Amino acid sequence: MIKDIITYPTPTGIEYAPDVRFFDEKLFIFIDDLKETAEANKLEGLSAPQVGSYYNLVLVKKDDEFLELINPRVIRKSGEVISKETTTYFPNISADILRYETINIVYEDRYGDQHSLKAEGDFSILLQRKIDYLYGANLLTKLKGKDKEEFEKKLNASNLGCPTTPRKFSRDYFIKASNFFLVLMLLLLVSSFFIDDELLLVEMWDYQLYTSFTVLALNICYAIYSYYENKRFSVCTNCYNMSIFGVTMMGLFRLTVVMLVSYFSF
Amino acid sequence: MARLVILGAGVSGHTAASFAAKWLGKGHEVVVVTPNAKWNWIPSNIWVGVGEMSKEEVTFDLAPVYEKAGAIYKQAKAVSINPEGSESIEKAFVSIEYTAEGKEGTTEEVEYDYLINATGPKLNFGATPGLGEGTTLGEHTVSVCTADHAVHAAHKLDECIEKMKAGQRQKILVGTGHGMCTCQGAAFEYIFNIEHKLKESGVRDMADITWISNESFLGDFGMGGLHFKMGGYISSSKVFAESLYAERGLDWVVGAHVNKVEAGKVTYESLDGTVDTKEFDFAMLIPPFAGVGLKAYAKDGSDMTDKVFAPNGMMKVDADYTKTSYAEWEPKDWPKTLQSPLYKNIFAVGIAFAPPHPISKPMKTPNGTMITPTPPRTGMPSAMMGKAVAQSIVDMINGASEPTHTACMAEMGAACVASAGKGFFTGTAAAMTVFPIVPNFEKYPGTGRDINGTTGEIGLAAHWVKHLLHHLFMWKAKLKPGWTLIPE
Repeated sequence: MIKDIITYPTPTGIEYAPDVRFFDEKLFIFIDDLKETAEANKLEGLSAPQVGSYYNLVLVKKDDEFLELINPRVIRKSGEVISKETTTYFPNISADILRYETINIVYEDRYGDQHSLKAEGDFSILLQRKIDYLYGANLLTKLKGKDKEEFEKKLNASNLGCPTTPRKFSRDYFIKASNFFLVLMLLLLVSSFFIDDELLLVEMWDYQLYTSFTVLALNICYAIYSYYENKRFSVCTNCYNMSIFGVTMMGLFRLTVVMLVSYFSF
Repeated sequence: MARLVILGAGVSGHTAASFAAKWLGKGHEVVVVTPNAKWNWIPSNIWVGVGEMSKEEVTFDLAPVYEKAGAIYKQAKAVSINPEGSESIEKAFVSIEYTAEGKEGTTEEVEYDYLINATGPKLNFGATPGLGEGTTLGEHTVSVCTADHAVHAAHKLDECIEKMKAGQRQKILVGTGHGMCTCQGAAFEYIFNIEHKLKESGVRDMADITWISNESFLGDFGMGGLHFKMGGYISSSKVFAESLYAERGLDWVVGAHVNKVEAGKVTYESLDGTVDTKEFDFAMLIPPFAGVGLKAYAKDGSDMTDKVFAPNGMMKVDADYTKTSYAEWEPKDWPKTLQSPLYKNIFAVGIAFAPPHPISKPMKTPNGTMITPTPPRTGMPSAMMGKAVAQSIVDMINGASEPTHTACMAEMGAACVASAGKGFFTGTAAAMTVFPIVPNFEKYPGTGRDINGTTGEIGLAAHWVKHLLHHLFMWKAKLKPGWTLIPE
């Protein structure tokens, strides 16, 4: 049976594939299904988590045959190369990934017997990419810093499916700004405990009041802008609106608490 | 009046002793038997090993602490247990041999009503030729398992740094010295602390640092790896460790059983059956752990060590030791009350109890050599076991017929803060929590662990936490005011 290959933005749901412990009929059927899936999609390799399975197993093509690697482990490596890679999980996007040139692997076959192999060049890179999936890693999680940001940008541009996938939103700047002002207000509030000068306190209360208007405005802007931002997504079920509501309410709640305490302390 | 005898005063033994003494009060007796004069906060030995802390900062004298706690302290090592007494002594007793200055070699039989075996490991350097003789560290490598070893390691590292400053390239090797080691975490911390130290000393470019371990993948840590939420993404310890090693420029070899250590060279067998060597100028290899070699005798004096202890010298408790294949292993095999199945008044905690099986996948080379990390049971789980057993015994002394508290590694989580370099502004550490320690595939289908209880983060803040924990735990172990409020 051909299985569906999961693609971004749907999460594979497999954070980590624990070792295969039972080498039984169920496993054999799964391997055959996976093979059919790989063939139908003309793939060089396929990892079980890519079809949403917890089996710790990958299929890779070697000499036109699919090699079944169960519980594979990279035990030694040498050399480093930067390889330009694509994967079915992120259609049409490539990334430069740091890989080992050669790797030594131990793995089990479908009968639970242990084997080892040494892989070089493209075969080594393919294996590394497939094994990564078993540990919850994909091209995105392999990237760091600037490269990661760029990849995320490409993803966001190419995919406006669902807002719940991890991404950076412009709306977060409103919350950042609001938090910044809240901290300022908190500082002002704390310092008011140590000040006796009535005139100064009155002046400080004014500042507190104006800042609170800013925070209020920022939170309202956040809610409105987020709502607008969500509109851009094609398959949005609006479930994210609840989160926006929650974040806004939290912000307003914090503001209310600070203002209440300030009111009685100034 | 009942007497509770505790063998060993490490993390678990000391926790058990201090709580038992507090809860039992003056009406009963708590006796601690340990060959060491000082207590050692072992996790901080990592920092001693790179010269960032002194031995004095991680140790303190036990005698005054036990005096304050109201426990009797005997600086001696336990030799054997007579759970049924002997022909001349009616009650159960332990034979001990004093190690305190001026009393060396004096023996004594200490009778007990309850016994906690918290002897910890025997550092079995002798298991790998060249790593050492018996429990003595060899001349080629260093260790950070004890405070003295760590001081020695720091000296050797300094010599190494001097050579680098003089323009000599140095090879540094850190990891496990045998295929059946545990405590990869300590070596993990040490390699990153060395890297940090070399950077601070301005000689990082003169060193080739390599990790060698018996884990079958980087980040296994003897727990079959773990996955955690990190920076918004769910990731595994393998991905985390691999990227950290790449970032810090460290090389690695895993699935390795070091089978010989010579001057400047280790020989190791890999999981694929190949035998290779690795050269080094400085090497810290963790030895495998074994039981301390306690004997057990029946009333008639016949040896029954094999009934009370597992073949590796660790004490059998309420675990299921019958399952041999990986497919059969279940979380419920793990001990709960840590009570000996033969003698209801004997318990074993920390490294001293025999785990039913590893947590990581057992692996063998084609030649039949086992290369599998043994389960970690130090630090937080250790202390939790000590406290639970102390509670059980206190309740049993007060009339309960069965242990009332459990500390099962399949039901408890652990938090670990692994240092990756010390410095108030430049330090880093990885903070990880894992729940449960032994994966439970029935309860948590898929990964076997609760993703909400399993998180990880690396950064400077975690280093501060680590440093704070050092002071907190030293404070707690010294039983200073408020010590009961500090968690395990």
